Amino acid sequence: MAEPLDNTASAKQRFDTVLIANRGEIAARIQRACRELGLKTVAICSEADKHAPYGKAADGLICIGPSNAAKSYLNQDAILLAARLTGAGAIHPGYGFLSESAAFSKAVENAGLVFIGPEASSIATMGDKISAKRAMIAAGVPCVPGPDTSLPGVAAAVERIAQEIGYPVIIKAAGGGGGRGMRVVPEADALHEAIALTREEARQAFGSPELYMEKFLEHPRHIEIQVLCDAHGNAAWLGHRDCSMQRRHQKVVEEAPAPGIAPDVIHSVGLACVKACRQIGYRGVGTFEFLYENGAFYFIEMNTRLQVEHPVTEMTSGIDIVHAQIRAAQGEPLDLRQDDVRCDGHSFECRINAEDPDNFLPSAGLITDLALPQEPGIRVDTHIHAGYRVSPYYDSLIAKLIVHAPTRAEAIAKMRAALAATRVDGISTNLPLLRALFEDEAFARGDMDIHYLEQWLRQRRTA
Amino acid sequence: MSAIDLSDPATIAVLTDALIAAGVDGLEITKAGGHLRIVVSKGEGARVSLIGNAQPDFSAPLVAIVKAPMAGRFCASHPSAPAEAEHLPRAVSDKDVIGFLRIGFVLLPIPAGRSGLLTRRLTEPDALVGFGDPLCEIEPLQ
Repeated sequence: MAEPLDNTASAKQRFDTVLIANRGEIAARIQRACRELGLKTVAICSEADKHAPYGKAADGLICIGPSNAAKSYLNQDAILLAARLTGAGAIHPGYGFLSESAAFSKAVENAGLVFIGPEASSIATMGDKISAKRAMIAAGVPCVPGPDTSLPGVAAAVERIAQEIGYPVIIKAAGGGGGRGMRVVPEADALHEAIALTREEARQAFGSPELYMEKFLEHPRHIEIQVLCDAHGNAAWLGHRDCSMQRRHQKVVEEAPAPGIAPDVIHSVGLACVKACRQIGYRGVGTFEFLYENGAFYFIEMNTRLQVEHPVTEMTSGIDIVHAQIRAAQGEPLDLRQDDVRCDGHSFECRINAEDPDNFLPSAGLITDLALPQEPGIRVDTHIHAGYRVSPYYDSLIAKLIVHAPTRAEAIAKMRAALAATRVDGISTNLPLLRALFEDEAFARGDMDIHYLEQWLRQRRTA
Repeated sequence: MSAIDLSDPATIAVLTDALIAAGVDGLEITKAGGHLRIVVSKGEGARVSLIGNAQPDFSAPLVAIVKAPMAGRFCASHPSAPAEAEHLPRAVSDKDVIGFLRIGFVLLPIPAGRSGLLTRRLTEPDALVGFGDPLCEIEPLQ
């Protein structure tokens, strides 16, 4: 690890009350971590979430707006007001909503509060895909072939870049993310139309028409590296995850470690991520996302927040990532060295969504009964209970089922048993789909890429 | 899903409040047993018409609940106002200020929103309230 810098203004910030600016399972998860650290919590809610269990369990609860997220969980002023009224000293943004908003991070700090996450400048750097790529190249992190500059407006220059990269290429919005604002170009004839369409989409969706171009990888896996940094220049990577099982760019099943990747290969990538964190002065937890194809890693983006799938890394590393994140925000130095980080056994996480397993339409309503497995090696992160009403206003994630076992095969067997023991009555969930997926032979072999789940679903529909 | 009783004054009051809060001018619901129409007219409160077999029991007063428009600490009156300003029940017009939300040094006035008789406060003075929390009850003037 690097020598402690201890030169940041935020290096010694203490607080005893955390406002959790989020909802659902992650609000409950953060609340648990705060309790374990002896911190008080303030829950915020919209009108739709007034009866959520984590609200009742919090030391303070305040409704900040109507059910529409734009007027509640995305309302920066309402959240800051709630923090002021309740005397909270820090705000944990969770994931989604305002968690990757540089403006929100800055507004929190300007209000004299601690943002439990990176500084606004880090979020801004990594939120812009072009500046992120530039920072990664500078740190020696492997990136997808393509220039680290935005696309020029001159048609001939764009054609030249595409020729140099080699078709197929992908056009992406610099301010995009989450699978939106991108278009694959298989050959030269489709280039200019794809650029025009993506530029307009980027302008409307992200407020900036800036685009960039990369080589399109046809059968990659999605691999992530979890990092943890303090405010003193110390950083470590905690392991890697495979999140290739996706539908419409939304992860469905995640696992740690990523199967079939040589430790020495991933080790060098992990160290490059740590180096990049130090170079941009990163604080807190973060995730580097890569495409992995033919034994090579290609950086795609960094998520400057807690990930939904952080539990699989917690299960294999034994490190409580939310604890570590809060401690880092309190200015404590990292209490582990890279050599202390281990990866024991194998972990899977299934996202249980309130949705129809066949057509994936959201399924809101009353949960009439609920059975969740409780055994060693099984963890359920959730906020639901029998009698809970699933709201139609938000993301359909209602629970995360996580298992840990000595080997991948044993973890699959444990997840099969855990899924069989899980029952959610009154609404539709994707449990039938998850149970079928864990019986799939190719999945059991670890033989999949980011397109596998979509293909598997198509085959099931036509079978 | 349970059937909604369109003749229930409480249901009508909830729907009316929702329309006012959302800035919607009116609502019509047609069911086998009847037809409910709520028209929100500016300043006059809501006008309700109901056609069909079921008729609402308007013998009980249609109580309107004034809700907090945002988070803050509830004050029943301005700090400089005389004590009698807090006296209940009292007649109010839609533009009358029936309380304040204190946010730091700022006092946000809360208008009654409708004419009627301010009968009851539902929040203790200086209590922390959130968006949508009930503050006061207003009954129609007889």
